[in-house]
Amino acid sequence: MAAPSLRLSRLALGRTSTLTSRPFSSKGEKGQIDALLEREHKDLIEVEANVPVHALTGVPEEHIKGRVVRIYKPTKNCMQSGTANTHHWSMSFDNRQRWTNTLMGWTSTGDPLSNMNTEFATKEQAVAFCEKNGWEYFIDEPAPRRLPKKNYGENFAWNKRTRVGQK
Amino acid sequence: MLRRGVSSSLRNALQVQKRSAASAPEKIEVFIDDQSVMVEPGTTVLQAAAMVGIEIPRFCYHERLSVAGNCRMCLVEVEKSPKPVAACAMPVMKGWRIKTNSPLTKKAREGVMEFLLTNHPLDCPICDQGGECDLQDQSMAFGSDRSRFTDVNYTGKRAVEDKDLGPLVKTVMTRCIQCTRCVRFASEIAGIPTLGSTGRGQEMQIGTYVEKMFLSELSGNVIDLCPVGALTSKPYTFTARPWETRKTESIDVLDAVGSNIVVSTRAGDVMRVIPKNNDDVNEEWISDKARFSYDGLKRQRLTTPMVRKNGELEACDWQEALMVVANKIATTPGDRMAALVGGLSDAETLTALKDLMNHLECETLCTEEKFPMDGAGTDLRSNYLLNSRLTGVEEADLVLIIGCNPRFESPVFNARIRKSWIANELDVAVIGPKVDLTYTYDHLGDSPKTIADLASGNHEFSQRLKTAKRPMIIVGSEALQREDGGAIYSAAHKLALSLQNTTEDWKVFNVLHRVAGQVAALDLGYRAGADEIAANKPALLYMLGADEAAVDRKDLQNCFIVYQGHHGDRGAEQADVILPGCAYTEKQATYVNTEGRTQQTFPAVTPPGLAREDWKIIRALSEFAGVGLPYDNIEELRGRMSEIAPNLVKYSVVEEANYFAQAGPLFGKLASALRSDEKLDTKLKGLEDFFMTDSISRASATMAKCVQAAMNEKKNRH
Amino acid sequence: MIIDKVHKTLRVIQENGGWLNSLLKLYRYDTLKSGRLVGTDDYGNRYYENKEYFMGRDRWVEYADKVRLDYDGSQIPAEWYGWMHHKTDIPPTLRPPPKYKWLAQHTENMTGTSRQYVPYDTVPPKIQPWIPGKK
Repeated sequence: MAAPSLRLSRLALGRTSTLTSRPFSSKGEKGQIDALLEREHKDLIEVEANVPVHALTGVPEEHIKGRVVRIYKPTKNCMQSGTANTHHWSMSFDNRQRWTNTLMGWTSTGDPLSNMNTEFATKEQAVAFCEKNGWEYFIDEPAPRRLPKKNYGENFAWNKRTRVGQK
Repeated sequence: MLRRGVSSSLRNALQVQKRSAASAPEKIEVFIDDQSVMVEPGTTVLQAAAMVGIEIPRFCYHERLSVAGNCRMCLVEVEKSPKPVAACAMPVMKGWRIKTNSPLTKKAREGVMEFLLTNHPLDCPICDQGGECDLQDQSMAFGSDRSRFTDVNYTGKRAVEDKDLGPLVKTVMTRCIQCTRCVRFASEIAGIPTLGSTGRGQEMQIGTYVEKMFLSELSGNVIDLCPVGALTSKPYTFTARPWETRKTESIDVLDAVGSNIVVSTRAGDVMRVIPKNNDDVNEEWISDKARFSYDGLKRQRLTTPMVRKNGELEACDWQEALMVVANKIATTPGDRMAALVGGLSDAETLTALKDLMNHLECETLCTEEKFPMDGAGTDLRSNYLLNSRLTGVEEADLVLIIGCNPRFESPVFNARIRKSWIANELDVAVIGPKVDLTYTYDHLGDSPKTIADLASGNHEFSQRLKTAKRPMIIVGSEALQREDGGAIYSAAHKLALSLQNTTEDWKVFNVLHRVAGQVAALDLGYRAGADEIAANKPALLYMLGADEAAVDRKDLQNCFIVYQGHHGDRGAEQADVILPGCAYTEKQATYVNTEGRTQQTFPAVTPPGLAREDWKIIRALSEFAGVGLPYDNIEELRGRMSEIAPNLVKYSVVEEANYFAQAGPLFGKLASALRSDEKLDTKLKGLEDFFMTDSISRASATMAKCVQAAMNEKKNRH
Repeated sequence: MIIDKVHKTLRVIQENGGWLNSLLKLYRYDTLKSGRLVGTDDYGNRYYENKEYFMGRDRWVEYADKVRLDYDGSQIPAEWYGWMHHKTDIPPTLRPPPKYKWLAQHTENMTGTSRQYVPYDTVPPKIQPWIPGKK
């Protein structure tokens, strides 16, 4: 897995983008903005690694240390034929206690991360996200699929057990 | 130079292609919505479309059932074809251009959907399938936006009387759209001819013809198969909606197959268990015990530690209970202690318990489930695994089953044998009681002597065995628990060795276990069988979920029994101290199935009351006992596990084991001779024996109802 | 001016029933006022009005003697509540509220006492524990 690069310049770029979005009248002004952008780029350092951000996110430490993320591809609901919502990678945390709230009868939990539903196109993205946020993780690969052969004619085979069905 | 290099490599490539073309048929190109896809000849339009990620709506088609082609929902337009074709049944031809979204296709779908909906009730708000209904979704996606159905004479829609299929499957037959998936499942997978259709046209009905229970150990799967709410789960009726529940992918531990399951929970309550697709293990099926015994997780639970005072078990706190056990440990020498583990124990707890007991200089660690310890015993891993794997049966051409009833010991595996019996012309032979396995087999009698006869060639069937290219011998763990288990084992092993083809990597010898924890326990070096405990008469017995009454309190004089487990069953009744643990839905734990596949469960709900995760209890006890096991979290514990048995942390992988040739000569000395007068028998013979086999299913009210229904069904004269 | 104030104070003390009673009221309510007794409710609370005080202080209640210092705004019944809060100028003594047989007695706020409302779990227990010796 190639570590995706994270540019620390995102904040700074956000500032300059307000400059570019301003309607400009002449080519001269555009040139000026380009120069500004270039100068700002020059001051920035590009970091070719996953920079952990959990020190800055404000997530309490109890929800960073000791939490293990399972990265998996959601399984198809066996009640239905469709395969929607199974083509992405998902992450789930170790399950923590839930209890019935005595006041309302609703379900309470002390674990906000259990309600975090994130979808990733690839598992590498999910891994990068976990590394960035300082969570331990493991990848649960989906079981390999073997597509069975289908033949309508087998229903009418005279010498096969497919025709007999039962004994 | 360069040019020559390229041309030679091209020539090589062509040759390779030619060679592969000789073995595999050439692929053909078809176009699905102008996307080109290369498929093997014989692929259906529907499968070809799935390869490029286009899903064609369907109701009757199911990839694990035969093609029926009767719902017509999968009609698609094929260029230059005058009529739309049924994608599920039609094999593609070279150069076909299939249009899955053309006006003709859309019109065909809308027409089919309109016909289906004229006779489908509008009761989605009170239907259990609501929210995960194929008809609901597909009518939104592919149906017309208005209906031409006008009930001008107020005659009402078609209504059909409900059928009684037993205590598990609820029927609302008015909702049925006659896809016949359930009929095909019953006759093809479950192997019982109970379901069928009567009448035709508007009057067509799915039913049992005469009133009959759906007598199958896999009956719950028709609930999943049904694309509408005609067949729904009785225990789950009106309890939850799919969007309210949290889904936890986990492993079933009620048999040794390790079926993958999804546990749906709401508010810390297990609402239902449904299968998870895993082609290598359970395909898409689970047994009724795995699916419906979840209410057993809520009854008879051990929720608080208990200590026996004045002959009565009294609730106490963890501190007191662990102190009592630790004090007892301190006053008992190691060789007077013993541990006995049950079939639902997970590898983490087994590791922790073994470490603790070994620290205390106790070596008597036994499993409840017996296994012959003669010869190499459990030292060689290939001796106690289903070596050719669950999927291996699909490559085999002959299966010899010795002393077990796979239909009830591992229903999902039996479904796979049946699948191969249908599709691959697999032949089956059985030595053991003559029971209904849902497929035909050659019954070779029930004398254990037959095994020896087969090996020596004195049996008429030995020739058939010898000519088989890929034979499989499956020995039931129950047959090996007889007094002459070692002899049966060595005879079967000898037979397997004689059939073993040394050139091919095909393993003949297989053991089919019945409990989920056995393989992990043997991997970790537990001794199989409680005989040693009965002989040693320990002063302190630590029972880890041992509920099968392998050791009786009366046989052990003055023994102090500690029971750790999740259900108040036979084990807890005789205990002096009870330490409440977790059931499989409440912990992250490792289990190894009968083929040696390591899988893990994930906690779906939190343990009830004061119950704690099992390995943590042992970790805490070790602290009280002054040992202090060197792991504080599950990762460290798994690190320790991998030191003992590295395969235990390689998840969803089957670790190869192959020491048949080496194991053979070690059977030189046997503890017992083959007793030919005693017939091979299995405990599970009928459906009524299947439902209640462990502490969870014994506590389940649903399972009790099933047993009752199966008993009553015996009196049914149909 | 000062004489006026002294005179007024003496009058208030006099109207409150002498020095001793005045001190007692001052102890209970931290204030001493005099005014016209408008009415008394079923619970013994006395309602006073004196338009000489400015709006907001011109109507007040002296809680029933039996509650001593444990008086609380919620002890004022609903019919007097409107008059006390200037929702109406007509006290319930002049226009009694309609009486129905289904009307419940006024109760004060019980929070903080032993009779306070405590929410309870209405969900049946999810787990049935094993009881030793019982099958």
